[in-house]
Amino acid sequence: MATIEERIKQVTARVLKIDPSEIRPEHSFAVDLGAESVQSIELVAMFEKEFGIEMEEDAALSVETVGGAVDFIRNVCKMQGVKTEG
Amino acid sequence: MGETVVTKIDKEERRTVEVREKHSNFVERSEPKESNMRLILIDRTESLRANFYPLAYSRPIWELRCGITSLAEKLVARLGLSDVACFVPDYMAAVYRQKTAWVVNDLSKLSGDDLILLDGRVKAEGLDKAVKGPSEIVLDGEGNVLYARIDRASAAKLPCDSIEAFVSSAAATLTKSQRILATWNYTWDLVLANPGQITKDFAIMGHDGIEGTVEQPNAVRGNRSDVFVARGALVHPMVVIDAEQGPVYLDEGVQVHPFTRIEGPCYIGKKSILLGAKCREGNSIGPMCRIGGEVEESIVQGYSNKYHDGFLGHAYVGEWVNLGALTTNSDLKNDYTTVSVMLDGKKSIDTGSTKVGSLIGDHTKTSVGVFLNTGAFVGAMAILMATGKPLPKHIPSFAWFVEGVVTKGFGRASVYQTARMAMSRRGCQWTDADQALWDAVFELTAPARNEAVRRGRIAMAK
Repeated sequence: MATIEERIKQVTARVLKIDPSEIRPEHSFAVDLGAESVQSIELVAMFEKEFGIEMEEDAALSVETVGGAVDFIRNVCKMQGVKTEG
Repeated sequence: MGETVVTKIDKEERRTVEVREKHSNFVERSEPKESNMRLILIDRTESLRANFYPLAYSRPIWELRCGITSLAEKLVARLGLSDVACFVPDYMAAVYRQKTAWVVNDLSKLSGDDLILLDGRVKAEGLDKAVKGPSEIVLDGEGNVLYARIDRASAAKLPCDSIEAFVSSAAATLTKSQRILATWNYTWDLVLANPGQITKDFAIMGHDGIEGTVEQPNAVRGNRSDVFVARGALVHPMVVIDAEQGPVYLDEGVQVHPFTRIEGPCYIGKKSILLGAKCREGNSIGPMCRIGGEVEESIVQGYSNKYHDGFLGHAYVGEWVNLGALTTNSDLKNDYTTVSVMLDGKKSIDTGSTKVGSLIGDHTKTSVGVFLNTGAFVGAMAILMATGKPLPKHIPSFAWFVEGVVTKGFGRASVYQTARMAMSRRGCQWTDADQALWDAVFELTAPARNEAVRRGRIAMAK
């Protein structure tokens, strides 16, 4: 199974229509990857779908970077008892 | 410090006077009041209230409008009672206390006087002036108590530990009357009855003439006795008031901008502004609204904006709604069959009418160019973005409709912040009680929203 980071990159690439290989952990969704506010909403929805989790909107949307999303989602998966690799 | 206290008291007194005035539009013209009978209005049963969602999420049913006044004002005037107490869902009691002069959810009001118990759905025109008499009770076909007259001695024998226990015990013990009382059963009942009700209310209120300012040139069609321009209202030049098919009532402080056409029957509430609107027949617009574009046979509760072009027909719009430019609702199907509405997001209800527009809950905002489907249910606190085609017929409360699907969007804190800002722009305050009410509505509406969000994720992933 792919790691959390790889899965986040795949989802981000699909929503923002960019190459996953161009995405790095330190990238900001808004500043570096060009996510607009509507796409941020889409990203949260798609991460929830990808990992089978429910995220609190305010907290999820306050995450700025790809690396931050990895940590945040790992934590949510752990709290909600969702198994992940990596 | 002392000055602050005085100011606060002064404001409170003003608010109380305003609330009393609000509930006395008709009472001042009715017969002398009975002093020892109390009206108890009740609106607590969720299964019945649900037929009036999304408008009833934040208010008792009797606060809904039909014609010139609310259902409550009609009931109180008809019965001729000035002592009124009420029972509303617990989650809205604190907010409702801020808005009414009546005692809310106080069980002590069930004793000490003769009582008239009344379900808020009962149509006022089926009632007579309240008079003392033997205790009796009227039920609907499902056994719900619609009306009860309970003398003081009988009331003292009923359990007072909850309003539900009191009512069910009354239903079990009092003499059943064979009277049939008509009720409002759905929100669209109010919309469909609105044009006729405006005409009836206009006749009862007995106002006509120009007390405000009507700048020339202007055109008034029909009988001038069917037009009332209240004091402080200002009608700019180049306005057509067409009272040929029904009366036009412009309440205090209304402004009508040039190139507006108002067809009666029509009521425009205090301090509302019509901005070059094509105001077709049968509209009731509450206070402090901004209305442009084409509006037909619709009710707007108050404090809402439809500033720009776009069609609103056979709709009921709540408070603090903003409809973006070119937002348009369908109120007639292409095949002219009757319109269905999905109140709960699952089951369609046939309205029996070929003309039903949208039901739009409080604090909902639409982007430019939103198309609402015939008989659309749009919950409260929702954010809608255009898709270029008609939106789904059910959009839950607190939903963010983005890219063609329901999402959680930026969440509840964000819409609360917007609500706070919108209210402050009109000099109103978002209180802790408001937030508690809407938190309760958020929980109440979670199942439908969560299901829609789940479906949205699936659709978005494809």
